[in-house]
Amino acid sequence: MAVTTTTAAQLEAGPLKERLRAADRLFEETGHYSGIKELQLKSKDPLAYESFHTRLLSMVISARETSKKISASPGIREVGESVVALYTPDGDSVVLSTGIVIHVHTMSRTLKWMIEHDYEDDPGINPGDIFANNDPFVANVHPPDLMTLIPLHWEGELIGWAGAVCHEIETGGVVGGANMGTTAERFGNGLTVTAEKIGRDDTVNKDYWLRAEYNLRTPIYWILDTKSMISACLDVRERVGEIIAEYGLDYYKQATRELIEESRRGHLERMKIMTVPGRYRVPAISCHLMDGKPGASAVAHDVLLNAPLEIEIRTDGHMHVNLDGIGPQSWTPFNCALAATDGHLFVSLTQFMDYDGRVNDGAWYAVTFNIPTGSWANPDSPLVSIGGIWSVMMPVFGAWMRAMSRAFLARGFKEEVFLGMVTTPIFEGGGINQYGMRSGVQNLECAAQGSGARAIMDGIDNAYVGWNPESDMGNIEIWEQFLPILYLGRRIVRDHVGWGKQRSGTTMSSIWYMHNTPMWLVMSTIHSDLVFDNAGICGGYPAPTAKYTNTVSDSDLLERAQKQLPLPHVEGDPRDPDMKRLLGGTFDVEKGFYHRPLKTGDVWQFFYNTSGGYGDPIERDPELVRQDLDNGVQSIGMARVVNKVVARLDEESDVHIVDHEETEKLRVAERQGRKRRARPASEWVAEQRERIAGRDLAPRVLRMLGESFEMSEHWRREYVEFWGLDDDFAL
Amino acid sequence: MPTYPKDVIADLIDGKLPWEQTKRIQSSFKDTDRFDTYVQVLQERVAWNERILLPIGEHLSIVQKGPDRIVKCDCGHEFGPYTENWKLAALLFVRDTEELLQELYPGSKACDPSLQEIREFICPGCGTLLEVEAVPPGYPVTFDFLPDLEGFYEQILGRPLPTGS
Repeated sequence: MAVTTTTAAQLEAGPLKERLRAADRLFEETGHYSGIKELQLKSKDPLAYESFHTRLLSMVISARETSKKISASPGIREVGESVVALYTPDGDSVVLSTGIVIHVHTMSRTLKWMIEHDYEDDPGINPGDIFANNDPFVANVHPPDLMTLIPLHWEGELIGWAGAVCHEIETGGVVGGANMGTTAERFGNGLTVTAEKIGRDDTVNKDYWLRAEYNLRTPIYWILDTKSMISACLDVRERVGEIIAEYGLDYYKQATRELIEESRRGHLERMKIMTVPGRYRVPAISCHLMDGKPGASAVAHDVLLNAPLEIEIRTDGHMHVNLDGIGPQSWTPFNCALAATDGHLFVSLTQFMDYDGRVNDGAWYAVTFNIPTGSWANPDSPLVSIGGIWSVMMPVFGAWMRAMSRAFLARGFKEEVFLGMVTTPIFEGGGINQYGMRSGVQNLECAAQGSGARAIMDGIDNAYVGWNPESDMGNIEIWEQFLPILYLGRRIVRDHVGWGKQRSGTTMSSIWYMHNTPMWLVMSTIHSDLVFDNAGICGGYPAPTAKYTNTVSDSDLLERAQKQLPLPHVEGDPRDPDMKRLLGGTFDVEKGFYHRPLKTGDVWQFFYNTSGGYGDPIERDPELVRQDLDNGVQSIGMARVVNKVVARLDEESDVHIVDHEETEKLRVAERQGRKRRARPASEWVAEQRERIAGRDLAPRVLRMLGESFEMSEHWRREYVEFWGLDDDFAL
Repeated sequence: MPTYPKDVIADLIDGKLPWEQTKRIQSSFKDTDRFDTYVQVLQERVAWNERILLPIGEHLSIVQKGPDRIVKCDCGHEFGPYTENWKLAALLFVRDTEELLQELYPGSKACDPSLQEIREFICPGCGTLLEVEAVPPGYPVTFDFLPDLEGFYEQILGRPLPTGS
């Protein structure tokens, strides 16, 4: 054990940068946050301590709820894409509101970055100052997440920070909307604010508003969101003042730090109670098409990404997240800054075990990472584009969720198994809206997708998204106000789940008629192309998340409507979609990234996602299948193919009826049939060895493997050993 | 700390407990005797006698068989030492063509078989589908979970890992 040389007093006095360094040393030397070995205030008066925490938590939650009403953006008002938080003076989060909880640590990193870059001296950190940041290479998830930070002072002393984030639905990038899915460098990402002081004396500088007005298609979102965030932060500042007046400054300082240490310990305890120590491996795969796509940067290219996630859980509850073997950064939007990678861990942890309202930076101090520098999860240059960050990191943390689910299952907490997260396709866009104005808007209705299955029940139907626990798809009428679209349908897609004994949640698609616009350039983001970027466990299948979009250009929809002919509202038979069947015009299916200018008369159908299933589909309760048949979630044909359930629709009662005897026969036959058509895995491995040695794989696959080899000799050696290849096998 | 009777845990893991009760269990402090009750429920359901050391899937467990610790299916099929990947001792069916993928994912839904294949790992004993992988052709078979059995028993459960005798 190292000799402790740093004291807690060094956290409270002296230059901020030195206090930050002292905090890091104290943790290293003692293994406790701020060197707090005993939770003295909690022990002395637990009710006062709990009451103190409740005051802080309700403060940030209430600040967020009120501030949402100031925003003009449906992303904030309808979907709730915001968060408010309280930080220590050296930038550790104490409490967060509900909302986009990924930002537990991003604002921490931003504050620490400012401290490390001597902001105390220049530009200074004074009462009434307002700072903003959306630069991922300072610390952020991605440019649309705009942060506002204000320092909190008590009698001239800096005692903390209030922070807020709003997700902007228009960022002034190369395409209207928020996520810039065509860029190769950061320069297409839009308006970037790199840890700037944007105001003094509680007043934003005029030039900041001008920058928003001139550089955004729809400045009102950014402007009112900023005012919304400032109002939330000022609300927090006022209430912190009231709390300090009541509890005393010494209590406030000590208790805020004890809350973080308590959270660290709580997280470790939960890991020990709920999981089994060991090594968990769960690869995440995603694919993104750029080659030849209109609007994509000329240097951007297709990528097939390998993230061979490994988690080690130790007996003391510590978790090590290891991405050894992950592929390199690239000249595409498909990179993820470090702050976003560890941010994803927080949003996952708050869903899985740290859901007691105590979420703060405590968990940060209980986890370590290996995220290789120069990889797409930790680029070594701030010039790379991270426009597609959610496309690449959500599959990784969906994989994390599968690993944790295995841990819960082994331990006996089967009710906690949850295959949650998957990518969330979004349509970005901009052009001339229905009011004749230039505009750009992101449609965030993906916020209510299906989730992966649970082990004891199906996944959540159309009420889940990995990045916001408060999933809300927003009212159709509101999206129609902001976008030149008319909804023809927003319905559950039939046969579009992760199959399993427990299926994933349902997902939906929307069909839109483009209305009163000469040009609206649409781009899809946050999805995978050509592959499923999710999986099930214990026999469950992945959900079909390989992106496709149906379009009818120059449709005759209005004429058909006037003649009262049937119109498309759903996909229908995927082999012969309703849009193709019912509309005149030119029908096409775009597989993968969608990026085209649409205009009045065009009709298009956009599909959302869900995640993997749990367990063998032929073990599914036939009554659940029957309910899915009645609710249009599944077809009779697929019930027979996937679940081996035989059912028919009773025309008279309009409900489905299962033939249990035939179902049982089919299931018995299927088990025998599986054994007959399968072969020993070892035999297959031997055959594949020859194929791989001959490099008889698709070029994109060879490239993906080769890139992982270059990034990690250890991964290459394991690969070679598994397949029994020559030691010097290379790609 | 709460503790729940065996029949409640049995219904919970089977998804048969009413939602209100399930939610109360989820929102309460975790029952510290869960592992033992869970294993007891599972042990009573299998026809074989080997002691379950750790469940690792819906139908798979690590059991003590004589001096060895092996992976075993509920049906009785034995896969080999738990320190090796049981999948390599399973039966495997690979969906690596348009036709096979379209069976489960019709129309435009299917993935591109040149970039991703669906691997179905099947128990040679009972024909149950035990795991599904969705990875590119040429990707190694994943060894999902290698537990630290000794550490779990000695440091978490506070008792020695059973040995065969």
